[in-house]
Amino acid sequence: MGRFGVAAGVLARVLVGAVWVVAGVLKLPAPNENVRAVRAYQLLPESLVTVVGHGLPVLEIMVGVCLLVGLLTRIAALLSALLLVAFVIGISSAWARGLSIDCGCFGGGAGAVENARAKYPWELARDVGLLLLSGWLVWRPRTPLAADNRLLPA
Amino acid sequence: MSKKKSTATRRAESQAASARAAEIRAAQERKERRRNTLVVTGVGVAVLAIVLVLFTIANGKRDTTAAAGSAPTGAIGYAVPAGPSSAPVRVTVYEDFLCPFCGQFEQASSKALEDDLTAGKVQIRYHVLTFLDRSTSTEYSSRAANALAVVLDQAGPDVAKKFHDLLFAHQPAENSAGLTDGQLVGYAVEAGATKADVQGGIADRTFEQWVKNVGDQASKDKVNQTPTVFVDGKLLSGSMDSLVAQVEKAVAAG
Repeated sequence: MGRFGVAAGVLARVLVGAVWVVAGVLKLPAPNENVRAVRAYQLLPESLVTVVGHGLPVLEIMVGVCLLVGLLTRIAALLSALLLVAFVIGISSAWARGLSIDCGCFGGGAGAVENARAKYPWELARDVGLLLLSGWLVWRPRTPLAADNRLLPA
Repeated sequence: MSKKKSTATRRAESQAASARAAEIRAAQERKERRRNTLVVTGVGVAVLAIVLVLFTIANGKRDTTAAAGSAPTGAIGYAVPAGPSSAPVRVTVYEDFLCPFCGQFEQASSKALEDDLTAGKVQIRYHVLTFLDRSTSTEYSSRAANALAVVLDQAGPDVAKKFHDLLFAHQPAENSAGLTDGQLVGYAVEAGATKADVQGGIADRTFEQWVKNVGDQASKDKVNQTPTVFVDGKLLSGSMDSLVAQVEKAVAAG
């Protein structure tokens, strides 16, 4: 792996990791808002809505911290990619069904979003970008400054 | 049969043997590393999974949605009613006291519906939501929603309707601090409530849980934005002007 690859790996870890941590922490204060945000997509059955609403912020913070410190990078990146695929499906499906909802990506839950439809493309672009970076880390999980290098010597 | 090997052959054979031994050692080390990686990964994933489950449960415990909140006297389900239940047309409005579009809707519709309300031709049911709590530094949406419930509980639906209209007439801007509790009490008194009756409930947020439950029920009823307007259970859609026009038309038709 050349110098570009090394730099890209660290950058991807820090960027994607930071986004997850921020997204998760912003959701922590209001668990019921997250449940509503999940419910607003009208995709999951009610029994799952609550579990996902309560668990997603925790999972996001954990994936984010793992990526930031480079712990179990490949698995964290894989989870990150899977979550982003789920979000992309959720947002595009909300868009396609004509729902006008706040994506709830960074907390805030369902909201008074008059211009939700104008925001969907940006949210999708952001998630696809993060998905690509996560995919890179699944492919090339070895990066400098990572806990993995001590735990799992190559 | 043993034919003497030359020195060169023996040397070559011993070199090959030690190379094979090194290869086997390397393979063993690779295997060990792989096992090591698997064990560390497995333990790590297990620990993280436990953390995830524990914190998810903790998050669930912090969610008071399931708690029953005592409802204000005079509420119909999760709505604050204006006008008699016997009215031929029922308009259901989901709104947030901070939402500018709700303010526009109220401005355009409240005057138009005033006479119909007094004539008993329409009942309006207000479901007050708190989506925009984060758009003020003081959770204005929740405080205002609670204040409306307190006024309804203490002074009845007519005063509550006046209070509701006053709050929209003096709607604070998004990203401001919102109206203070003192101002809320002031408008309640202006609407006709007694100060002593509403002051405590507004300060202590007596109906905080009920307000949360209003929002939760709205979410279950697939209402995810404000204003959302139903006429006799039918969802209206269109621009703000068209919403108001549709409501007026429905009420006029009876």
